[in-house]
Amino acid sequence: MNDKELLPWLEKATLGDESAFQLVYQATHQDVYRTVAFLVYNKQDIEDIVNEVYMHMWRSFHKYDPNRPVRFWLHGITVRLVQDWKRKTWRRIRLFERNRQMTCEQFEWTDKAVLQSEMQYELFSLVRQLSYKLRVVVILRYFHDYALDEIADILQIPVGTVKSRHHLALKELRKRFEMTGGDAYVH
Amino acid sequence: MSIDKDLREELRQVADSMHCPPDLYERVQQSYQHYVNGKRGRFSMKKRILTGIIAAAILIPSAVFASSYLADEIFGSVETIEQHGGSQESYQEIEEMLQAAKGKLTEDEFEEYTELFKQMVQLKLKMTDEKGIKHEEKLTKEEQQQFEQLGSKLAPYFEKINGD
Repeated sequence: MNDKELLPWLEKATLGDESAFQLVYQATHQDVYRTVAFLVYNKQDIEDIVNEVYMHMWRSFHKYDPNRPVRFWLHGITVRLVQDWKRKTWRRIRLFERNRQMTCEQFEWTDKAVLQSEMQYELFSLVRQLSYKLRVVVILRYFHDYALDEIADILQIPVGTVKSRHHLALKELRKRFEMTGGDAYVH
Repeated sequence: MSIDKDLREELRQVADSMHCPPDLYERVQQSYQHYVNGKRGRFSMKKRILTGIIAAAILIPSAVFASSYLADEIFGSVETIEQHGGSQESYQEIEEMLQAAKGKLTEDEFEEYTELFKQMVQLKLKMTDEKGIKHEEKLTKEEQQQFEQLGSKLAPYFEKINGD
């Protein structure tokens, strides 16, 4: 389903039409899930964030700018929520340390599929090792094919910053790739 | 070999192998239901607030009309005077007198006047039976004294009201 087809369903869904909700979910959930899973590694957290993304979709539909593609708006929400989540985790970790509650939480780490991919795809495993700030640029650039100025819009940072992060990310990837013994990439 | 092309290719392949867990649908659907219910709840809340405002808009003017009787402030209502041999007419007379007082006295004076008049009326009501006959012996000595004092305090006001 393309953007233009999706929009009326999205509108109906925000008004409480359940079948429209199902359609919107079917059309978007893999994309949302994959985007989050590229940025966050804990399985439980990924699911929490995906759920939040949908909640935000309904609630902030009135803020959607019809001149922009729906997917662009959706990716904006997704990335913002991932960042919110990262801030919260940071707070949670500090609380955790303060209380010194070293209870073993049952964390379910990312799917086996992703772990397998890491073994299979060397470049991808290197992307996963990048810092979040660099990684999010790589994902938006190479997975979603956004231009650098669009990425700046989504991340709400200056284009210059996106350019330098993009540059830095590629540099890191090339360096690490060579270190692991792969063929050198031409600049 | 271009890193751009390889990155695109690998990310696409990895993405294809990642699948959103099917049970996540139920969870998202539940939150969606929650959202829809909340939305309805909000709407009825809006309606409730609106109803409240309309009700207040209707009630406030009627409350204003109801208290436009100055005599009500003194007696509470016309029933009070009727229980003591008074009539609707005499109530109306007192009302007119009070209206006149309001017109002729300053705001502070009128306030003082109504306060004194109210005390006097209370005593008067106490000594008057249902037929309207006075029984001064129904008051205590202090109350009789108070009654006289009130009369002398009110006298200048009466003069002012009836004077010009």
